[in-house]
Amino acid sequence: MSIIFSKELVELFAKKDTVKVLATTDAKGMPHVVVKESLQLNESNQLIYFELLESSQTNKNMVHSIWFNRPVAVALIGTGGESYQIKGKPVKSIVSGLLFRDYYVKIREQLGDVDLAAVWVIEPVEVIDQRFNIRSREEEIRHPYFKHLDRLAK
Amino acid sequence: MALALQKENENQKNLSYFEVVREHPDVSPLVILKMDVQRRGVHYTKNALSVVDESVHQLRSPYIFGSRDAQIKPVPESLLLPDGTSIIVDPTPLEQNPYIVDVIDGQLVLTDRGEILETVEYWPKPDFYDKRTSSGVLMSHIVSARPQRLNIFQSGFCHFWANDKGCRYCDIVNHFKQQRAELGIPAKLNPQDVFETVREALKQPGRFTGVCLTSGSDTRGAEPFDQEVDFYIEILQAIGANFKVKKFPSQLIASAFTEKQLTRLYEETGLTSYTADLEVLHEELFNWICPGKAEWIGYREWKNRLIRAVDIFGRGNVSTGIVGGVETAKPKGFTSEEAALQSTLTEAEDLISQGVNVAFIVWVPRPGSYFRDQKNPSLDYFVRLAKGLHQLRVKYGLPIDFDDYRRCGNHPDTDLSRLL
Repeated sequence: MSIIFSKELVELFAKKDTVKVLATTDAKGMPHVVVKESLQLNESNQLIYFELLESSQTNKNMVHSIWFNRPVAVALIGTGGESYQIKGKPVKSIVSGLLFRDYYVKIREQLGDVDLAAVWVIEPVEVIDQRFNIRSREEEIRHPYFKHLDRLAK
Repeated sequence: MALALQKENENQKNLSYFEVVREHPDVSPLVILKMDVQRRGVHYTKNALSVVDESVHQLRSPYIFGSRDAQIKPVPESLLLPDGTSIIVDPTPLEQNPYIVDVIDGQLVLTDRGEILETVEYWPKPDFYDKRTSSGVLMSHIVSARPQRLNIFQSGFCHFWANDKGCRYCDIVNHFKQQRAELGIPAKLNPQDVFETVREALKQPGRFTGVCLTSGSDTRGAEPFDQEVDFYIEILQAIGANFKVKKFPSQLIASAFTEKQLTRLYEETGLTSYTADLEVLHEELFNWICPGKAEWIGYREWKNRLIRAVDIFGRGNVSTGIVGGVETAKPKGFTSEEAALQSTLTEAEDLISQGVNVAFIVWVPRPGSYFRDQKNPSLDYFVRLAKGLHQLRVKYGLPIDFDDYRRCGNHPDTDLSRLL
């Protein structure tokens, strides 16, 4: 079943000042985390981003992920304190065709003389609200023992 | 010994795609699928053909080799997998047990025995395909396209065939004659037509990442192959006139030239990489399978010329292609896949260690070739060959950027280099 994004999350993707981070791993499990300003939602509620460097570690890790069904993670941090993590799986690497051409033209209009290696499509499988007040409430309910007693003292 | 024999027999049992994927958990299942599709071919159902849009999808265009059904039909050129991997494959008669391309639940899919294996896409049609050069030739007859590369086959004739010494797996001349008769493909390209077609192709943003030239061997000239070199230079210069830089990403797949000929190619054109196909990495089999190459150059000299080419084009810019599996052709080939693999990889290591890359294509016994009735090896064999060549590249740190999944798309072993 596909993930339905909240209105807040959709807006967060669209905001220019949102920090968007993509975390991947290589074949040996080595993590690699980078800011990807181009992360956005497509019409099918999937995440896409523009990979400008064919030989980047992220691109290699994405290839590894699509080949061996390995998840990736995206973090979004808004200026208003919003914080989300989205776990997903790469399902497509668009490297040719009309859609690729449109993206290629668009990215070059935005950034000048850059190349476009691929447009990666990530199918979201889980969305986690990472705001601290939300996360701490969830964890307190799940693990009531995990606290220092002085916090409970009169 | 008994265990080795048992293992060998198991490998030659023609394991299914899923069994081979389980045997090789470190190899991309998509690349394994590509190899099996190339090994067995495809059949397009009526439903699959009904979703072809001639304005969007690339139909079969002139190619250097013929298809397994020996027909020239307006069917899809080929397929793309979700990870961007190209499958270069042609229509195959149903009695040969090909994969089936079908439409199921609105999606174009590859199936085998009724089971959906993967979604696929048809190759996108390039913008220049329906245009004509100033001399009136359809541009798709001058330059053909892969998803990201331009193919230029400047001559469909191979002079090794003149005295019946063409490579035994090859159908180039028979296919050329068929294309000329049925499509009116020019026997030899005009440099001006090539210039105009490449100029038009480059107008399409984000489509092409490289140019590849190849054709049959031409032994004529003051020194053998001089005419072939002259013509390549002429065509490369015509292509190069479209670029603002001298060197442009390009590959020439040609005969094994002398240092003098290679130096001319490098210095007088924008060519960046050079490939001369040994086809089979075994001297005796080379002599049998490639009698023309053996007669005019010879296995050892061919190898020497490749090694010397590294000094001219640079490490990582020279390679040799092999027809993977043809080393098992009957009656003189290896009877054991294990022995064939070991022999091929040993010889490949000798080349790779000296800076000459080795990349394979899947041997398809084509109806227009001498080996038409033969059978290619098991899928497991091809996976082990791809893995072996990839591991050698890793061992010697030898890049293959000019002939990878994007700039070529026909070598399963170089597809694996996407992780390097």
